[in-house]
Amino acid sequence: MRRYRLILPLTAAALALAAAAATAALAGPSHKTAAVKTQAISCKGNLKIGFVTPLTGGAGFLGNEQLSWAKYAVKTLAPKMGLKVTLVNGDTPVEQGPAPAQALAQKFIADKSVVAVLGPSTSGAVAASTKSYFQAGMAHVSPSATRTSLTKGTPLEGTPAFFRVVPGDYIQGPSDAKFMIDQLKVKKVVLLDFQEPYSLGLADAAQTVLTKGGVTVIRLSAPNTTTDYSSYVTRVPSDAEIVFFPTQKPGDAQTFARQLVEQGKKAKVFGGDGSNDSSQFKTPGAYVSNFAPDITGIPADAALIAGWKKDNPGKAVGSFGPPSYGAVQVILTAIQNACRAGKGSLKDRRVLISAIKHVRISNWILGGSFRFSTKSNDPLNAKFYIFQIQPNGSYKLVG
Amino acid sequence: MDEFIQLTVNGLTLGSVYALIALGYTLVYGVLKLLNFAHGDVFMVGSFIGFGVLQALGGAVDPVVPLWALLILITLSAMAGCAVLGVVIERFAYRPLRDAPRIAPLISALGVSFFLAYSMQLLFGAQYRDYNLFSASDGALFLKGFHIGGVRVSLVRDIIIASAFVLMVVLWFLVNKTRTGKAMRATSFDREAAAMMGIDIDRVIVFTFVLGSALAGAAGVLFALLVPTQVSIGFVSGLKGFTAAVIGGIGSVPGAMAGGLILGFAESYAAGYIDRIHFGGFRIWPEAAGTRWTDLVIFVILIAFMIFRPQGLLGRPDIKKV
Amino acid sequence: MSDTTPTTPPGPDPPLTSPAIGRDEWVARHLERRLPPRLGLIERRIRAVPWWAWLVLFVGAACMLPVFADSGYVRRAYGFDIVLYMLLALGLNVVVGWGGLLDLGYVAFYGVGAYAYALLDSPHYGIHMWAVLSIPLVVVIGAVVGLLLGLPSRRLSGDYLAIVTLFFLQLFQTLATNGDQFLFGAGNVTGGANGLLNVDPIDFFGKEIAVQHNGVFAVGYYFIALGVFALVFVALRFVNESRTGRAWRSQREDPLAAEVMGMPVNWLKLMSFAFGAAVAALTGTLFASLNASVFPLSFYFVTLITVYTMVILGGQGSQWGVVLGAILISVLLELLRDTGNARGVFYVILAAGLVVAFKLSRRLPIIAAAVIGFGFAAHAIADAVDHSWVAGTSKTWTSDWVIIPEHLASWVPAVTYVGLIASVLALTLLRGWVRAVALVPILYLAAFVWENVMLAKPEPTRYIVIGVILISLMVLRPNGLLGEKRVEIV
Repeated sequence: MRRYRLILPLTAAALALAAAAATAALAGPSHKTAAVKTQAISCKGNLKIGFVTPLTGGAGFLGNEQLSWAKYAVKTLAPKMGLKVTLVNGDTPVEQGPAPAQALAQKFIADKSVVAVLGPSTSGAVAASTKSYFQAGMAHVSPSATRTSLTKGTPLEGTPAFFRVVPGDYIQGPSDAKFMIDQLKVKKVVLLDFQEPYSLGLADAAQTVLTKGGVTVIRLSAPNTTTDYSSYVTRVPSDAEIVFFPTQKPGDAQTFARQLVEQGKKAKVFGGDGSNDSSQFKTPGAYVSNFAPDITGIPADAALIAGWKKDNPGKAVGSFGPPSYGAVQVILTAIQNACRAGKGSLKDRRVLISAIKHVRISNWILGGSFRFSTKSNDPLNAKFYIFQIQPNGSYKLVG
Repeated sequence: MDEFIQLTVNGLTLGSVYALIALGYTLVYGVLKLLNFAHGDVFMVGSFIGFGVLQALGGAVDPVVPLWALLILITLSAMAGCAVLGVVIERFAYRPLRDAPRIAPLISALGVSFFLAYSMQLLFGAQYRDYNLFSASDGALFLKGFHIGGVRVSLVRDIIIASAFVLMVVLWFLVNKTRTGKAMRATSFDREAAAMMGIDIDRVIVFTFVLGSALAGAAGVLFALLVPTQVSIGFVSGLKGFTAAVIGGIGSVPGAMAGGLILGFAESYAAGYIDRIHFGGFRIWPEAAGTRWTDLVIFVILIAFMIFRPQGLLGRPDIKKV
Repeated sequence: MSDTTPTTPPGPDPPLTSPAIGRDEWVARHLERRLPPRLGLIERRIRAVPWWAWLVLFVGAACMLPVFADSGYVRRAYGFDIVLYMLLALGLNVVVGWGGLLDLGYVAFYGVGAYAYALLDSPHYGIHMWAVLSIPLVVVIGAVVGLLLGLPSRRLSGDYLAIVTLFFLQLFQTLATNGDQFLFGAGNVTGGANGLLNVDPIDFFGKEIAVQHNGVFAVGYYFIALGVFALVFVALRFVNESRTGRAWRSQREDPLAAEVMGMPVNWLKLMSFAFGAAVAALTGTLFASLNASVFPLSFYFVTLITVYTMVILGGQGSQWGVVLGAILISVLLELLRDTGNARGVFYVILAAGLVVAFKLSRRLPIIAAAVIGFGFAAHAIADAVDHSWVAGTSKTWTSDWVIIPEHLASWVPAVTYVGLIASVLALTLLRGWVRAVALVPILYLAAFVWENVMLAKPEPTRYIVIGVILISLMVLRPNGLLGEKRVEIV
């Protein structure tokens, strides 16, 4: 009997604790969320912008390039607009699925000084977290998520709080296919996908247009872990002109292009924005499409590039970075406009959603001016750019 | 027909690499009865060592030594580096657990695998490392070779297949014709009895790890001649090598070679023909699926082995000793 | 790197050069039999409390979390997610800890559960089953799949089972990833790589329980998960204390002897396998309903190894152990995401490791003082030679002690990291005062590597830590924190 002496007081204590917790919890959330709604945000204070991007893992190169440009944008633009802004980074490695993006959304929503989110950079992360952001009234502007269903179509994965400053795959897939039909006059095309959402979406979109255009299409599919593509190369008919290879790993596009040469095939690789990396994908004759032009060719951006290069010595200007500069510019302009309308304070972060929707920028980093389409949260009149790789490895704009 | 032969060539190339990896699994399993899950990551480290030495020797385009010497040097250094790595892993992660419950070294092996893979990612990042041999002597390695009709057996494939074959012959000689090899076989047959016969078990095990890891290092370099290397090939190719070892009968040296080739051919032919397989119009997978079920072929082979011949192609059935 | 300081197992055993496994249990315990166990007053009191009182206390305390944390992030990352991992660890403990089987396909059952729930409660097939029906159904599905997988593997011996289950995980991945064009003309079953979306939240007889209010994680789910946890904990406890549980343990220690005694060894193994699968499937339903979506890659190797680490750290076979392991590992991994936290975690673990290694002996303060002194000296010298060597970071609480160069030369990370590993391994070969002296610069090197190399890349660092924990636990303390000391007769 002696060993039971402690039980009674302990059990009683535990039950009391549990009861207290349950009542507190049931009472807790309602009054706390009510408190959130009435809290105004002063524009004089330090405002935070969350940044959700893969900083590590296989797509880490993308996130780090974006980060360098986003930092540069905050550093140069915020003081001009009279704002104090800091970036808070969150890492969503593509290997880990949607969970990190959801956890980060909770983190940023809980932090009252985070007013908007830059990103998420990958479409999967957007789909996983956009509902939470929307319900919390947090605008999120992605510099690189191109999945079509995030802004249009049914089932719609996105929400009205999601914006992107680059066009989606609904433009990329078809415009790549149209380029093949109109400019390259192809008769036979091999399409590959890699059993992950990005390539499936692009290959499907291109396939529809190609088939309609009377092109013979051969669709192949390789597991996403494939490293040696030689057997898929063997499947490419000797009279096929193009292999559409929408990978997110530029190194694989390079491997495939080389193995085509090795096996004496005349077909050229055509990659999507995921393979746009001139340090890894550099087989002459291959094509790459991307949502951003090479900004080194835009005269108005010269000073900007020089400034960025000073902060990032020894780094080359890629095509993922500049759109994130643009996205930061959109967010900051919206904050400035909303602050002006709210006379020095924001009623809550929700006001930024409509402010972003109405942002207009005249000196857009990717050339021309910028505004969102009225029908969806996509940029108006944006287009995809197609490059061909030159013998010296540089990318030349061809369409 | 050309297509079939080309696929066979592809499968043979891939299969010889898999066989080299599988040999490492099988050697260690034979002697220690340990599934060395870290082996795939040793393979990956080998390909990185090869890359490092290649850069140190001036890179593929403008090397300080002739191309043939360059290839031999990077292979040998990767083999040596991996052998050291294998010995260190054995000494610190497996030896303390030699008498522990069977599950303990397996879990330790998983830990080593994680540790190696992510340490490499920490130090060298996740990006691809390209040996860039395509640019060496104007692409001779890839563009020259046997051209029979439409079939192309490029030099680099000849090199991979021939080196793998040579390494396997050397291994066969070491295992079957030397005293140490005899000691290995004795240990594999019955460790305690071998110890009682005066065989230095520790030495045999270290030797086994040296052999297995050196083969993995060589495989790493050979594979990286063909495609760029990166951290994640450790897991992916390690799993393939492991599958090959299981198909061939884990613990059996000729089994691992056979298993590697079977797997290489299976993968190659699956990518080549899977979307054209149907039985009088009836398709197991829909036509629209194309080649996407290629991995399934490997599983069908595996399941067949697991059910009908669990000890693998050339393995011995596991007899329980009391 | 900090877990590599050796610990001697507590208890009456004399310090050993190798862990106390592989010896005959009767021999191993001879000291225990000679001396009555010397338990302190507190420990005796703790042991006198029955398990169910602890459970009530634990769940009660866990219920308090939302009171202290009103952030949806904390409630989710430190609340709900940890409970999910506790459930997964409890299930794996049945297979690994009680059954003694190495199941490398465990997370596939987690995935089977999540996918099964998603198919039964989502617009994919237009089925929206009540959760009270679908969740038990999913649990049964999980158990049946477990049984089916185990059946053909007639002799579920250690290695063979590990191989079969590993391939099962691969097969699950292949089927889930390509299941949008499924075999035998079944059409789109799993949604493929795009996953299944818009999965229903859990409902209470048709009334849905929202996952979030205004975008903030709804705390109701945390309580549901806690309730499920308590149920599973109690159910497994009863199973373990029944005839089956005792039979599991005996077949784990010596399957041959158990079989000779007339126990259906294969059936027992299948049972533990199926129990684990059922718990994993149950956890999968919570995961799917909370995330409102399922994707193939959520159920893969990283999750598997993470759960294994929890079970091993806590102690295979001990329910409280694996729960503790789940909490420690989850909190550790979450803290390591953030640079500021990660910095603190490292020094806390380092200090704790020193205390465990040297107990409260005289050497502890000497070594601690030596390390601190060494650091300030090294920092001062580096500062004097070239200020840019120590000007790498803005002011943190360690920046006056550890050298953080402004620009890290490209060779530094690789050399210092590999050097650290090599010296830690060499340290394990040293003995006595040489080891104590060598420890001082090595600890400082560890701090240098941590602050300069590892903090910058949280993602690999998290998994390196997992790998180190697994290896060093297996070598130093295979029974984990609270596990039973296992003796396998070989």
